[in-house]
Amino acid sequence: MKKSWQLDRRSVLKGAGVALALPLLEGMTCGADSKADDQPKRICSVMFPYGIAVPNDDDPERDWGWFPRGKDKDYQLTNVLKPLEPLMDHVSIFGGLSHPNCRAMNGHDTGDTFLTANNLEAGSYRNKISLDQFVAQRFGDATRIRSLTLSTDGGIGPRTRSTTLSYTPKGQPIPALSEPKLIFQRLFGQDDASQSDRRRLQNSASILDLVRDQSKSLRKNLGQPDQRKLDEFETSVREVEERVERSQRWLSIPLPDVDPSSIALDADPDGPKDYIRAIYDLMFLAFQTDMTRVATYQIGSYGPTIARTFPACIGLPGNWHGLAHGAGKKGGAEQIGKFDQFLAQNLARFLTRLQETPEGDGSMLDRTLVLYGSSNSRTHLNRNYPLLLAGGGQLGLKHNHYLRFDEKTPMSNLFVSMVQAVGLEVDTFADSTGTLSGLS
Amino acid sequence: MRASRTALLLSVGLVAAAGGILLSGRSASAGDKEFTASQAESAEASVTFSRDVQPLLQKLCAGCHGSKQPKGNLQIDALRHDLAAGDDAETWQDVLDRVNLGEMPPPKSQQPTKAERQILVRWLTDGLRQAAESRKNSSGRVVMRRLTRYEYQNTMRDLLGVDLNYSAELPPEPLSPDGFLNNGASLEMSPSQIEVFLRAARQGLAEAIVTGEKPKVHQFRREVTDVGRLPNKPVAGHEPANPEFILGVDTFPRREEFEVRVRAGAIIPEGRDFPRLRVSLGCLPGIIHVPRKIVGEVDVRASSEDPETFFFRGRIEDFPQPGDVPFGNVDFDGMIVLIDFLDADGKELRYSDRTYAVPPVKNPPVKKGAKSNSVIAASPAPPPSPENPRLDIVVQSVEFESPVITAWPPKSHTDILFAEDAKPQTPDAELLYVQDALGRFASRAFRRPVSESELAATVEFFRTVRATSDSFEEAMRETLALVLVSPHFLYIVETRQGADNSAPADHQPVNDFELASRLSYFLWSSMPDDRLLGLTRDGALKKQGVLDQEVRRMLADDRSSEFITRFADQWFDLGAIDRVAVNPEFFPDFDNTLKPLMAEQSRAFLAELLRSDESCLDLLDSNWTMLNRSLAKHYGMTGPRSSEFERVAIVEQRQRGGLLGQGAFLLSNSDGEQAHPIKRAVWILDRLLDSPPAPPPPDVPELDPESPNLAGLSLKDQLAAHREKEACGNCHRGIDPWGIPLENFNAIGLWQTESTIRRAVKGKANVTRGAPVDASSILPDGTEIVGLDQLKAYLRESRRDLFARAVVRRLSTYALGRSLDLGDRKSIGELTTVFIKSDFRLNQLIVALVKSDLFLTK
Repeated sequence: MKKSWQLDRRSVLKGAGVALALPLLEGMTCGADSKADDQPKRICSVMFPYGIAVPNDDDPERDWGWFPRGKDKDYQLTNVLKPLEPLMDHVSIFGGLSHPNCRAMNGHDTGDTFLTANNLEAGSYRNKISLDQFVAQRFGDATRIRSLTLSTDGGIGPRTRSTTLSYTPKGQPIPALSEPKLIFQRLFGQDDASQSDRRRLQNSASILDLVRDQSKSLRKNLGQPDQRKLDEFETSVREVEERVERSQRWLSIPLPDVDPSSIALDADPDGPKDYIRAIYDLMFLAFQTDMTRVATYQIGSYGPTIARTFPACIGLPGNWHGLAHGAGKKGGAEQIGKFDQFLAQNLARFLTRLQETPEGDGSMLDRTLVLYGSSNSRTHLNRNYPLLLAGGGQLGLKHNHYLRFDEKTPMSNLFVSMVQAVGLEVDTFADSTGTLSGLS
Repeated sequence: MRASRTALLLSVGLVAAAGGILLSGRSASAGDKEFTASQAESAEASVTFSRDVQPLLQKLCAGCHGSKQPKGNLQIDALRHDLAAGDDAETWQDVLDRVNLGEMPPPKSQQPTKAERQILVRWLTDGLRQAAESRKNSSGRVVMRRLTRYEYQNTMRDLLGVDLNYSAELPPEPLSPDGFLNNGASLEMSPSQIEVFLRAARQGLAEAIVTGEKPKVHQFRREVTDVGRLPNKPVAGHEPANPEFILGVDTFPRREEFEVRVRAGAIIPEGRDFPRLRVSLGCLPGIIHVPRKIVGEVDVRASSEDPETFFFRGRIEDFPQPGDVPFGNVDFDGMIVLIDFLDADGKELRYSDRTYAVPPVKNPPVKKGAKSNSVIAASPAPPPSPENPRLDIVVQSVEFESPVITAWPPKSHTDILFAEDAKPQTPDAELLYVQDALGRFASRAFRRPVSESELAATVEFFRTVRATSDSFEEAMRETLALVLVSPHFLYIVETRQGADNSAPADHQPVNDFELASRLSYFLWSSMPDDRLLGLTRDGALKKQGVLDQEVRRMLADDRSSEFITRFADQWFDLGAIDRVAVNPEFFPDFDNTLKPLMAEQSRAFLAELLRSDESCLDLLDSNWTMLNRSLAKHYGMTGPRSSEFERVAIVEQRQRGGLLGQGAFLLSNSDGEQAHPIKRAVWILDRLLDSPPAPPPPDVPELDPESPNLAGLSLKDQLAAHREKEACGNCHRGIDPWGIPLENFNAIGLWQTESTIRRAVKGKANVTRGAPVDASSILPDGTEIVGLDQLKAYLRESRRDLFARAVVRRLSTYALGRSLDLGDRKSIGELTTVFIKSDFRLNQLIVALVKSDLFLTK
């Protein structure tokens, strides 16, 4: 079986309706050989806002609660996650997890911290690095694009109501892309922006080269101690040159020739069904072509998001925020539950596509971690996040259970398990106290 | 912050090594005088080490500084007696200083005869001079130095003519061992810095060189406030807003400069201080609460009948901006400018009968148990009347404009690329044009004429880039970016090119360009201006009188405020004030906004000293100080009516004169709970007398403040007990006495006559009134001092020469951007003499320094 990212030139992938022609794709591994360890490991995080319904076990609407009944191996999915049933061998569901640092924060403020586990202290609002960037930094330039940051609303949004899940090492929000067309362009386009990026890299390389020449000729006219200072300068310039070269190496590798016709690139958030599907399709495509191995996708936001009206697309009254607020009222769980089920259907479709695409000895899903959930359980409550993790069967993860934890276990422990699964030798992330037990 | 006081005391200033007890001698005369005197004597008969010196050292020193547990970690017979060869010259210099000062041998030990002392001094002076010469010739100095963050920021601004925050991403600079940020040896370079320099260059050039038509200017103006709903309760830590005036800014560019113009006047009842007007910018719409950020604050002194226009500038990207999402506020489409009125204390002016920019809440829904719906309570006040005016501000108009364009293309563009009509039309013409523009830009960037080969390489780069660029301007930007990451730009370079063979290899005169850069980075922390560079081209800079004239011109220029700020910050260590957290349990009323004002006071003091050309001895004690309203209030003094610093004559609180009466020194050298006599003493020794005690040895035992021996003792007695310990006493006898006279100042710089004993008990401050403060002290030379006034008098009278040397050394270190070494000794001595003769005038010292060997040679 061929590896998905090493396809013959002009071979056409028909899986799930995306036609691909991939020239010279083997080049895209950037000189890596084909040892099993060098096969891609991927990480993807999806968050939705406002929380879910958490009816008690004796509640007649219990089946519209997000969390399954029972626990561990002995669990029963409710209506909400039913769409995932065929995939449960690849899925773990978690109860009780949350970010301890964020529990006391305003209920609408924790979207910013879903992947950072950081307390946004009033006044400073300084965030920290997010899980995806933490991984992307370490994956480095193994792929053409280090990471893909997507959201319904795009940009960064206002602080505490951000529209991005990704944060730099200094805690600065990374703008998300939202329009399918632009995302496609970013991935596969020869647009002006990428043209000028390329030119810029080329110029940078020449600039650094010339600067080093200047430094060398300057050196002749300096005393010993000054020459040592200049050494420092030249070493630094050389290091930056290498960074530029690594980025440049991708320039000589042609982009995969991807036919966009099967993706609803015209989808916009006014048609949520098509839109959400298109975003998942694009993430799938980005992974399949190994354009990147790291992605985040924030569906809606805790602010006045375009996605507030999404529930209407399946005939639900009121906006998403209102539905979430009404989850405790009579009939409320059913309404928000139906919408959460709709979201789960979309997720299931994405996971299925990954699972149906062979890679190595298994499927793409076996080498892709997909984190999915919200930073509210009941709306405004920053505890007991509804969370699940799919994929990674070949990365040492065990699935098909509903693991419940008490509040002593920070959600960051799950992050540590995830980064270890994708091959990083890391013991801690944010406020973690270890790995998540029962997952591997 | 439960602090054990004695532990902190101990960690600061124990001295063991050679640099220790400089000031404990009996002689109060200046080291430099004796130094020069003994140099004259050295011409006499030569002295041999083994015959004349070694026996003396054995007799006078080896008792304590022998091989067995040498005191102060100094073993005299382990020092190499060939001073020029080893690394021991600095230690021998200490030995000489102490013998000269009469500190060593210590009073209780056997004293050398006059003849013996002369032999020692002569041998040491000769040896040190030789060492200094040989040092210079081996040139261990780092001359080249990278621009500091602030120098880079200023230089980019002056070079490109665009004021961006270029240095935001640069890491902070390390402090050099002598406390400076601009020390070439300490300034490092890393790959990330290179990346930032390249990125900042491109960002700056994208603004400086423009393409296309003049962009749309977003302008909004109102004479009557906008009215709309704003959050009226704190949400997620965002404060509510209830501004006096709102200007809606519906559309705005994302990355641009903006200007807010406010025309306003004040109504100020008799006896009231000036009110303040605060301008902030931000988005405060409905359900999203993007906090506003202050653009600026200003005293309103003009009357409402004759209002004044205030200008505020900023860059939009520095203010919080949401993405392109609807904010959910029906009243405002975009950002808003908010105007608040404050009284002189910084409290918002609120009157219950006033309508604000926010509509009144109709029938407020009162939740059960909820507090009043109105968060901002207005102070009930009688409505104003002509007879009974109340403090207020009247806003006539508010304008917002962005981008701020005075010309198109902007001046930055035409300055770099020449006037628009000179734009070349053919490729050949373009190349000539480019040659001119690049030559001009690179000469300014490198602060010297560029060589033909440098220019040729740059032009060649332009040609390559031009082929792949969308526009001529784009290619120019990239080419200029190359100039801005060149070592010739990022470093202040002084080469050995064109060496003058008649001068020693390492005593070369700086050339005119190097001199211009030395001057401008010394006095402006930025690049030379066109006039300075012009003088270098004419070769006029070093001509008689020109240098004097230039220094005076540069000091009179606004840019010299950088010299005051940077030099004061580094000399007085004003950054330290932010490293001390005032414990609110101990000082519940202390307002942290006073901290930057305290630092500003010390800067303003130095600025005034320079402006009014007064004696630097005023740093030690003065009958005037600089105050603004808030700080005067903190000190309990009558001062200015405004927030601006003004010179105030000291009538009653004599203790407030000089640096030692200023909050910056007093608070920085406390632990945030109590005064800290050792920190204060170390600061005085280090910063004012340039005789820092060595850091405490690593094995210094800590005193346990809870121990039965110390519990219940006054601070002074605790310190005394501490000095009794053999290990501590040696050094602390030279330190503690300098800090104890300052005991009348508490941790936040307030005067106290009773020592207030505050103890942190189980995290809570337990305050008890103690005994009267005992500020009496016996200085190491035996002088008895009671209180601060006498300490200041003693410093002014008896230690002025040492102080003079300290000022000269600090200023020279800053001016040269490197640590001083033995080779500089002679120049420092001469400058000190000049400084003292000029009655300690800083202006004259700066001129003398600039004309000295130190500054004119490399």
